[in-house]
Formats: sequence, structure tokens, C-alpha cells
Amino acid sequence: MQQATPTSSEATALEKVIAFVDERVGLKTLQAKMLNEPVPGGSRWAYIFGSVLLFIFIMQAVTGILLMFYYVPTADHAYASTQYIIHEVDYGWFLLSYHFWGSTAMVICVFAHMSQVFLWGAYKKPRELIWLVGLALFGIVMGFGFTGYLLPWDQRAYWATTVGVEIMDKTPLLGDFMARFLKGGPTPGQMTLSRFFVIHVMILPAALMGLAGLHLFLFRTAGPAGPFRGSPEELKAKTDYFFPRQIWKDIVGMVTVFLTICVMAFWEPVVLLEEATPDPGDYHPEPEWYFLFLFQLLRLKMFSGEFGQFVGAMALPGAFMALLAALPFIDRDPERNIFKRPIALIGWIVVMTAILIFTVSAIINREFLD
Amino acid sequence: MQPKLKSKVRCADREIGEVTNVIVDPLSHEISHIVVSMNGSGERQVAMGQVQAVTDNFVELRSSSSEIVALPPFKRDEYVTTHEVEIPHLEENIHVSPGEVLVPFPELEKSVKRRTFFMNLTNVIGFLIGLPIAFPVLRYLMKPMYQPFDNDWLKIGNIGKIKQEDIGVQFKYKKKVKEAYMPESEIEKNVWMLKATPTVLNQVYQGKDMEFRDAAGKTVWTNKKDIPYVAFSGKCPHLGCGFKWRKHKVLGQVFLCPCHLSIYDASGKVLDGPAPRPLDALPIRVSAGGEVEIIDMEFKAGTKAQIRII
Repeated sequence: MQQATPTSSEATALEKVIAFVDERVGLKTLQAKMLNEPVPGGSRWAYIFGSVLLFIFIMQAVTGILLMFYYVPTADHAYASTQYIIHEVDYGWFLLSYHFWGSTAMVICVFAHMSQVFLWGAYKKPRELIWLVGLALFGIVMGFGFTGYLLPWDQRAYWATTVGVEIMDKTPLLGDFMARFLKGGPTPGQMTLSRFFVIHVMILPAALMGLAGLHLFLFRTAGPAGPFRGSPEELKAKTDYFFPRQIWKDIVGMVTVFLTICVMAFWEPVVLLEEATPDPGDYHPEPEWYFLFLFQLLRLKMFSGEFGQFVGAMALPGAFMALLAALPFIDRDPERNIFKRPIALIGWIVVMTAILIFTVSAIINREFLD
Repeated sequence: MQPKLKSKVRCADREIGEVTNVIVDPLSHEISHIVVSMNGSGERQVAMGQVQAVTDNFVELRSSSSEIVALPPFKRDEYVTTHEVEIPHLEENIHVSPGEVLVPFPELEKSVKRRTFFMNLTNVIGFLIGLPIAFPVLRYLMKPMYQPFDNDWLKIGNIGKIKQEDIGVQFKYKKKVKEAYMPESEIEKNVWMLKATPTVLNQVYQGKDMEFRDAAGKTVWTNKKDIPYVAFSGKCPHLGCGFKWRKHKVLGQVFLCPCHLSIYDASGKVLDGPAPRPLDALPIRVSAGGEVEIIDMEFKAGTKAQIRII
């Protein structure tokens, strides 16, 4: 009996298919271009956050689509359908909890990613546009958090939205229109849920995909910034390609994040409060943890009254975001070493410490309310 | 072998210059011409048919140098570089380096004047498509945003529930709402009731009757300043959370909002925290049997002035 053993000159069926596609679309060139990106100064763990964010987003999209198989975005069914996902559907609790903890992971990684770029001075010329698009992506991630929070339609959801939209109402001139536009009426209700749902599952994902694509394109056009120290010869000697060393580090990062999210989903699965209603009962409204510092900020006496509130809720965060957007245009010094940029280093430490202090004090404040 | 850029060009009689460009047929991907730069005396476009041999550094032509010089000057305007057109798989056929590979600008394109005009016109037409739908889309999305005020009286309970004066008592009630296409549903709401002593009542009403108006500015109801029952909207005037009647370590019995820690006394006056105005008293009437009715108004939070939204 003769067995057909493919010799080295004989291509397997799979190789033939790949060759067929490659001939028509240049798959191998594309793959080579994707993987053979020189990383100046070599791969580093500090560079993993961009790839990890992409991974988290893909997982959020997958779990989000799965949740939509059962979730119904109406005021009379949203809560019940979410409870159904948690208590009845096989592994529904896990997918929902994964989606929830995934959003937390996303925010943490966004902070890490932005901090890394800031500390490495990688926003400087010629990477200003990458930084600006990145800021827009940061806004989109926050928008995801804000709109997604309402969808389970429990008390937590309802009150975070009520307060959040009231804050938006304080925008000069357009505030009332914007708040009513988002709420779809004078107070939160079905129209608000519909609007937040559309924004969360259609508008923001489309915007994120487009802008993330642009972000990557601009990044590839400008090339990675590399480390902030080292002579050109040293950097050249250490330079390697994106594949395999950096991809390996990225993959380890993704696996770590994936496992952490899974552990959190098992350990602290999502539990809903009472169904949303304009009577808070015993519930003390609180936003998601990454908005806690802003929440605590608005408790300060200095931000009291109509004007104080405008300063605390609008002017201060707005000025901070404007400062971040203007950063590459103000800070034109090509020096990237963070240890030679004292204002930047101190600024970063102050902002992070302030966020930490306000978040912790918001958590401590909880005790005094019960 | 394909001619290389920078290769020297030799005619039958002498060397006349070097290759500065090659011209490619966009369909066959073959090199159709070379462009020869004649050491400062202009450029000539030479068909590949003229080329006798191509070696590593030389391109040899059949014609004599005088024949080449007699050719019309090379018209650069009639060509675009391969960076400016989309010609798939071109690099697989053309092995020229370094420099520019040219392809002819199509005949039909040459006769098109006013390219900028057509570009702008395209944008204008796109804008004209968008413009007429912008307003309908905006109106479409704005449909539920503004609603007439609801001035109906709502029964919320009996004053028998209030046992002490100047103590906040929560009255929960259900309100029927009909939103857009949704079936009518009941939502839970609450107000904080107070049987006020004359001092506190005076602080609430400041010695004047309190008038409530509809959207048109017409008075809907007047709370008389000497009726001791006061109903405060359950919505905190700071940012719209629900406040509670609580014991405070220093300030005693107060209305406290757990969100941003605004604190109000029994008359609704701000004692501490970020609230911009006192609690909102609602239109109230109490029947002979003690049944309390209110008009369920809501006011915008976070403003110094009271702006009605429901």
C-alpha cells in the first residue's frame, strides 16, 4: 500500500489556499508590515498597555454582543432581563460580570497608558496628533462607562445617571439642551434608557473603532518614540521588531488582565440593587469608582452654590482636559527624560495623588452616611 | 533587464545623459519609455523600442544623439507619479530604484479643466445632501425633550401620619406616567412633609404667600403663608439626589442629602454643603379629612433660581 506523503516541494491544501489569497491581496506583505515594526531601544513591559487596551475592547465587544441576546432596553424590562441574565441564563452572571470588570480594567489601563505616554514624553513632536486622538479615545471610554452604568436600570444606575446628567446641565448656554437631549425629556425615563443604549452599543463602539484605527495609523506613521535615554548607537544596538519580543510581552499582559478580570468576575460578581425608581429609599447614590474623585470634589464647600458648582463640575475638569489637549503645543522642549522635566513629573504626582486622596475620602465618607 | 534610474544613456555615437525617470504602462505594467536627462540641456522621452541593450550601468540606444536631441522636450505635466495613482501589484513588475516611476496622465483627464471647481462642487453636493436632512434628524431626536407641565393634583396620604411639629416625614406615593409608546406605568416618588411651627413656617414663606405658575406664567396655585403643612420636593436642589431626615452630630435634626452632603434645616434653608438654594416647597392642599394633595412639580437642580421642568 502506498501512502501519499507530501514532499517538501509539494504544498499542502492549506498552503495552497494561503498562497491563493496572498497572490491576490498580499497577505504576507501585510503580515510582515504588521509584525516587523522596529521598536527603538527594544521591547519593554511599559509598552504593553496599548495592545492590552485593544484586547480589552475586543473582549468588551464580544461580551457586550452576547449580553444583547437577552437584554431588553426598556424601562419595564431592562431590570428583569438583566436579572434573567444573572440568575437564569447559563454563565450569564459570568459574562455580565466579565463585562463589568472589563470596563474597570479598561479605565485602569487607559490611566496607565496615558501616564506612560506622559512620563515618557511621547506626546511631543511629531506625535501630537496621536496624543489628541488618544484624548478623544479617553473621552469615549469614559462615555462607555457613563452610558453602560444606566443599562441594568437598578437604583445605582438611575441615580448615577440623574446626577451625571444634572452636571451636564450646568454647561454654559447648551447645558439645558444637552441634558434634555440625553434624557429625552425633562427627567430620566424610557427615552433616557433608549438613548444611552444606542450610544453605548452603536455610537461609541463605532467612534472607538474609527478613532482607535486612526490612533494606530498615526502611531505607525510616526513610529514608536522609544526610551527617553540612550545615545542613537545604544538605541540602535537594542532595537528589535514588534514581533516576537514585544508581542510576547503584550500577550503576557493580555493573559494577566484576562485572568484578573475572570477572578474578579468569580470573586465579586455583579449584583443588582432594587429596580430604578425616582425614590432612592435607603440607597446612597454613588457613581462608578473612577468618577468618585469628581463626586467627592463636588462635596467641597468651595464648590458650593451655582457658581462654585460650575467651577467644580465644569470649569475645572474642562480646563484640565484643555490643558492635556494643549500639552504637546505648550511643552515644545524636545527633552523627553521625565527626570529632567520637573514640572511634568510634579504635575503628574500631584494629579494622581489628588485623584487618590479624593477617591479614598469618598470611600471613607460612606461609613458616616449609614 | 529593466533600465535603472541614474544609468548612463549611450547613443550610437556618444553618451548623452542619464535616466531620470521611467514611464510605466498602467495596464501592462511594462516600462514603455525612459526619460533621459541630457546633462542640463533638457529632458527627452525615449520609447523602449529605441533601447538596444540594458546593462548594469548603461542603457544603449539605437538612434544617434542628434535624433534624440531632435525629440520634443519631456512634458512632466502629463504624468503622475506612482505614489499619486493606485496601480495594484506594480512593484512586483517594476524593479527600479531609487527614484520616481511615472505613469502617463490619461488622455481624458488632460482635457478636464477646473479640477478644483469639480472638487469643490463634489463637496457642495455632499453638503446639499446633508443639509435638508439635518433639520428633520434634529427634530426627530428632539421629539420627547420638551413636554407640557403636569398641573394635576395628586393624593399622597393623610396628615395623621405626622405626629410631631418641625420633623420631616416622608410621604411616598405612586405616580402614573405615560412615556411615548410605553404602556402606562407607576413610578415611586416621595416628598418630605412638615407640620411647621409658626417660626419655621415664617422661614419657609418669608411672610408671603407662595405662588406657583404654569408654563405660560399663569398662577396655578397659591400656598397660603398660614397653612402649617409644607411639602418639600424629594429632589435635592443641588444635583437631584434624594435627601433624608437625619440626625446630625452638630446641627441636630436636619435634611441631609447623602450624595454631596448638602444639609438643610426643617424650613429647607441650606445649613451646610454645596446646595445653591433652599429645598423646593410644592403646591399643597389639605382636605377637611386630612388628605394631602400636591402638584408634583420638579425643578432644575444646581441653579440658584427655581426653574420648573415638570
